[in-house]
Amino acid sequence: MLSIKNLHASVEGKEILKGINLEIKAGEVHAIMGPNGSGKSTLSQVLAGNEAFEITEGEITLNGENLLELETEERAREGIFLAFQYPVEIPGVSNLQFLRTAVNAMRHHKGEAEMNAAEFMKLAKEVSKQVDLDPAFLKRGVNEGFSGGEKKRNEIMQALLLQPKLAILDETDSGLDIDALQVVSNGVNALRAEDRAILMVTHYQRLLNHIVPDHVHVLAGGKIVKSGGRELALELEERGYGWLGIKDEEEAAANSAN
Amino acid sequence: MKPAPTLSAAFLHPAGQSLPEPLLALRKQRGTALVDMPLPTRKTENWKYSSKYLKLTDDMAISLPAEGKTGSGLAVPGYKVAFLNGVMLPEASDYPDLDGISIERFGDLDDVEAASLADRMDSTLNSSSDKGVVQMARLNSARFEDGLLIRLKPNAVLDQPLFIVHEVNADASGSAYPRIFVDAGRHSQITLVEEYISSGGEPVMVNTVTEFTLGDGANVTSVRLNMEGENVQHIGATGVSQQRNSRFESHCVGFGGPLRRHDLQVRLEGEGAECKLNGVVVTQGKQHYDNHTTIEHVAAHCNSQETYRNIAADQSHAVFNGRIHIHQDAQKSNADMNNKNLLLSNGAEIDTKPELEIYADDVKCAHGATIGQLDEVSLFYLVSRGIGRREANVLLTMAFINELVEQIPVEQVRDTAHTRLNQFFDQTFEGA
Ligand SMILES: Nc1ncnc2c1ncn2[C@@H]1O[C@H](COP(=O)(O)OP(=O)(O)OP(=O)(O)O)[C@@H](O)[C@H]1O
Ligand SMILES: [Mg+2]
Repeated sequence: MLSIKNLHASVEGKEILKGINLEIKAGEVHAIMGPNGSGKSTLSQVLAGNEAFEITEGEITLNGENLLELETEERAREGIFLAFQYPVEIPGVSNLQFLRTAVNAMRHHKGEAEMNAAEFMKLAKEVSKQVDLDPAFLKRGVNEGFSGGEKKRNEIMQALLLQPKLAILDETDSGLDIDALQVVSNGVNALRAEDRAILMVTHYQRLLNHIVPDHVHVLAGGKIVKSGGRELALELEERGYGWLGIKDEEEAAANSAN
Repeated sequence: MKPAPTLSAAFLHPAGQSLPEPLLALRKQRGTALVDMPLPTRKTENWKYSSKYLKLTDDMAISLPAEGKTGSGLAVPGYKVAFLNGVMLPEASDYPDLDGISIERFGDLDDVEAASLADRMDSTLNSSSDKGVVQMARLNSARFEDGLLIRLKPNAVLDQPLFIVHEVNADASGSAYPRIFVDAGRHSQITLVEEYISSGGEPVMVNTVTEFTLGDGANVTSVRLNMEGENVQHIGATGVSQQRNSRFESHCVGFGGPLRRHDLQVRLEGEGAECKLNGVVVTQGKQHYDNHTTIEHVAAHCNSQETYRNIAADQSHAVFNGRIHIHQDAQKSNADMNNKNLLLSNGAEIDTKPELEIYADDVKCAHGATIGQLDEVSLFYLVSRGIGRREANVLLTMAFINELVEQIPVEQVRDTAHTRLNQFFDQTFEGA
């Protein structure tokens, strides 16, 4: 489904991704772990099409199609979804209006009829229950004043509404209490499907107890330095990153800055 | 050194509409006072950013004819008064006889009523220290051909909004001077909608004055929608004087033009009076729009709340100047002024200036002004959900003004504003 080959990306002249190779097949769940500042969010944002990052080398294809030629919105319509590590607050745009506009943009793309306000309201209420978010949140500005956990649930709610082919979840488990982690994990598991792939960025093995990955990768200094099965996550939890030749966070950051 | 430009004498010759004697006398007196009136220049403080847009040529001096087609007339539900080139058209107007409310054109007033009106005309704009405003408003006083006097007896309530559609028909060059005076008696209520529109394409100038006097406890809502064409220079003034516990609410929505100027002056003269002034301005191309507001807290225990938003695209230029003057005796005044501005292109310009003069010591006065652009991160978030660029831009731009548009208490005006905004979005975000 997704194929990344020798991907290099930089921001403001500084190289962050230094040759990423990754193959993700339909139905698979991949987890990416790695020290702070190693480029996990950069990879996620690059996949979603954030133009703040410049691709200097390499290729990304989604089902054989060159992703790099597509605008962000086109990628989304082709099925790429990114749950942001830091979801954006947009006061003045109601969550409901935002979600409906997004859903209808997708439906329009697929040649389906748009949903009217009433139809959408019904759907949105159902899905908000699924992520245990009070429907009152629909009326508020997009993520406006949401707590960290509420923002993450709102991201999963969007994934459930938009039904992407590839869901990239950037630390969707961070900052969640135990119950919320359960709710979010259930949401993610509900997304698991034969024809869908999930790429999860996480720092914690505990998420992987709820959502069992097929593959685990370690990203450090802008490269994937190790890949394995889910047991790799357990090993990392126990031993940290040191045994992989990654010193510590600061040094990793310093390395990526060079 | 070049001599300062003065108003051409050609502008001091009103046409011959029939008006009651006291109003003719007033007009003549105001005209005499305007001889050699200096025109605002870049050095005139309150015209600093806008004088370059003011282009009064002699062929604009002539009063536009009071008859002609009223073409574009907006479909208006309910009560409506139509003005063409500053003169009321009874045949195009439609409002019932209402208990305690009289709506009369100036020409229909008897001499006693006209004398009383003449005494009060300009009174709401007089007090200003702002010479430029008074003078441009006085030009209207020297030139008005007709006008509308709306009087509400104590406790009279107008049961639905009254629309005044001011159309200027610019098939030839010239000018128009519409004039409205609203006298809202004690505890009366009215919602007045003024829509300024145009037809024809020759360069014209529209110079308006609208005055409101609010008796104790009166409740007046004024909605002003400015949508004239690219050939129309608009210089308008609104003056308001408020007695005890009265409430004045203003909603101004304006789209830019070669020159757009609106001066809004509110005097809170009786204790417990309050005003709320909302404004939305949208400019594009090489358009201009300048809102100058003044709130005078004369009496104690009054509240004022002001919220203006400007959106400037392309090479356009928007100006906001908000003056709050809290007089010495106006203790316990509560004033809140907020102006936010959105630049949609690097070539656009917005100038904003709060002016606070506070002479009382026990007051609350808050003000804030910001200028910014659409947030790239928000934009990315929206498009990452499959929302198109245009739509994302529109959502973010509307987020900036939606609150103010939604507060306009007249649905038809909201609809008109939305339609016009959509045109703006189509033109501004077409390549997006
Ligand atoms: N817009 C930017 N401008 C400058 N530097 C940036 C920008 N975005 C990211 N970086 C830098 O790129 C590096 C990788 O950042 P990234 O956010 O991808 O790390 P991460 O692996 O997601 O870290 P974390 O685990 O803390 O979320 C960091 O050194 C970061 O400071
Ligand atoms: Mg990150």
